[in-house]
Amino acid sequence: MSTATHTIDAIHFTAPAPPVRSSPPSWTLKSEWTKLRTLPSTWRTAVAAVSISVVLGAVLCISQANQWATMTAAQRATFDPTACSLGGFFLVGAVLLGALAVRTVTAEYSTGMIRSTFTATPTRRRVLGAKAAVTAAFAFPVALLAAVVSFEVGQRVFAGKHLQVSFGSPGVLQALVFAALAVSFVAIIGVGLGGLIRHTAGATTALVLVIVGGAVLGQFLPAGLRQYLPGTALEAAVTVHWSAGLLKPGTAIVVLGAYAGIALVAASLRVTHRDA
Amino acid sequence: MIEAKHLTKRYGKTLAVNEVSFTVKPGQVTGFLGPNGAGKSTTMRMILGLDTPTSGDVMVDGKPYRELADPLRSVGALLDAGAIVGGRSAASHLTWLADSNGIARRRVSEVLDIVGLSDVAGKRVGTFSLGMNQRLGIAAALLGDPETVMFDEPINGLDPEGILWIRNLMKSLASQGRTVFLSSHLMSEMAQTADHLIVIGRGRIIADAGTDEFINRHTAPSVRVRAVEQADLAETLTQRGALIESGSDGAMVVTGMDSAAIGGAASAYDITLIELAPLGSSLEDAYFDLTKDESDYHAGQLVDATKGA
Repeated sequence: MSTATHTIDAIHFTAPAPPVRSSPPSWTLKSEWTKLRTLPSTWRTAVAAVSISVVLGAVLCISQANQWATMTAAQRATFDPTACSLGGFFLVGAVLLGALAVRTVTAEYSTGMIRSTFTATPTRRRVLGAKAAVTAAFAFPVALLAAVVSFEVGQRVFAGKHLQVSFGSPGVLQALVFAALAVSFVAIIGVGLGGLIRHTAGATTALVLVIVGGAVLGQFLPAGLRQYLPGTALEAAVTVHWSAGLLKPGTAIVVLGAYAGIALVAASLRVTHRDA
Repeated sequence: MIEAKHLTKRYGKTLAVNEVSFTVKPGQVTGFLGPNGAGKSTTMRMILGLDTPTSGDVMVDGKPYRELADPLRSVGALLDAGAIVGGRSAASHLTWLADSNGIARRRVSEVLDIVGLSDVAGKRVGTFSLGMNQRLGIAAALLGDPETVMFDEPINGLDPEGILWIRNLMKSLASQGRTVFLSSHLMSEMAQTADHLIVIGRGRIIADAGTDEFINRHTAPSVRVRAVEQADLAETLTQRGALIESGSDGAMVVTGMDSAAIGGAASAYDITLIELAPLGSSLEDAYFDLTKDESDYHAGQLVDATKGA
């Protein structure tokens, strides 16, 4: 082939690129970032995740503030204005961003575009790794913004009852950063579930069960096991006032990271050993 | 250059591709021809490392596809033009592909220009017609300026102008010394585009030859003849080994002898010919003849309809 001489025409490259021995992983990262940022639904999801988190969080805080008068002393003692203001964020924001991560994989399987992806980058685990890295990196600042605004709005609601805390209060900054980090791990779990299940509806349902289902299923489990469920760990990651039955926030983040790692490795194995 | 050796793919009990060996050479258009379900797409997916062969192997430029460092610079492939996430613009779709193989982004507008999609570069792919998708798929295949291009059923759904455009593109790519591998179930299209044919049926290679050679080998030329002494001529020709069928309008269709031999026989017996017309041989006849036992399903009326077209 190399001996063939070519006529100059429009099809030909203007300047031949130097040969490459093995493709650098940065190409795959760049490619997956291009994919993510050029889909309008990515940005719509980000806007929806932030705005719904804030509005729902505010509603939950108003409801809590109104119940303050009727709360028992024990309930008041464990009341966590930080975690409460992030309630909407975890119910909706995390799920929306996780579902976005799911779709980065399943949209390609359902259309068949995954074949173009694997033809361009035959090392499939690298593709999944890049999708995980890129969606997690995208989810982090979006989630942080959602958490910070939710917190601020929530505290203004609580200020009416003098229940508010501030960014400078002990544990608050850590809780907000951990909230964003937790959602980044949820995004990686989403990529993993997408690779394992391949169908948008199925994988999204699985993700919702992972995040929310823990609360339901957990009631049938002993507390010792229950605290390790992803949904419970998510809740624990943002607690400022530690309560019984929850992991310490730092431990909870490590547990979520482990779930993300397991999901990604399992999906990589599955995707690599299956015909595309 | 594509080299397949004893390539086999089994799905459960079905042998989709069975011990297939062939070489696709540079500098010509090689047609990969076979009825639907013959194993063309499966073979192409194995070439691209998408499906793992049950046994055997296939190399592109001497390497398994998965070992190519920047595969888009070696092989450009269009498998299914509709297999695309519709939310992105045409330019964005090509940009992620370019990024994945370290291809300069200015190449995106170059290939959009080549396929005539520059005006709709910013439009969502989801709004594209089948023909526009097909052109976008070809732009994607040309992105890395590859030595080998591979197209699965590229003319499906195209209008005559689009078909002509693709045909000329294939030929010009081959004339530049590239390896062009093109699958189709349409014999007539292959006859006009391909220099070389690899015919597959039920997962097996049933012919691998130059297009002209293939036609000559697998078709018997026939001649339409009318004579004043038609019965005498028929008898004479039959004696010389020709096969005679009666046409509906009183003419005979003679196979097994060319027009010179028929004319000679007629003059030797003082038979006056009224008409002597070579009918030529159609590649489609050869194809149907060859694949009629290999096709998975026999849709008689469908075959006839295609033949007439």
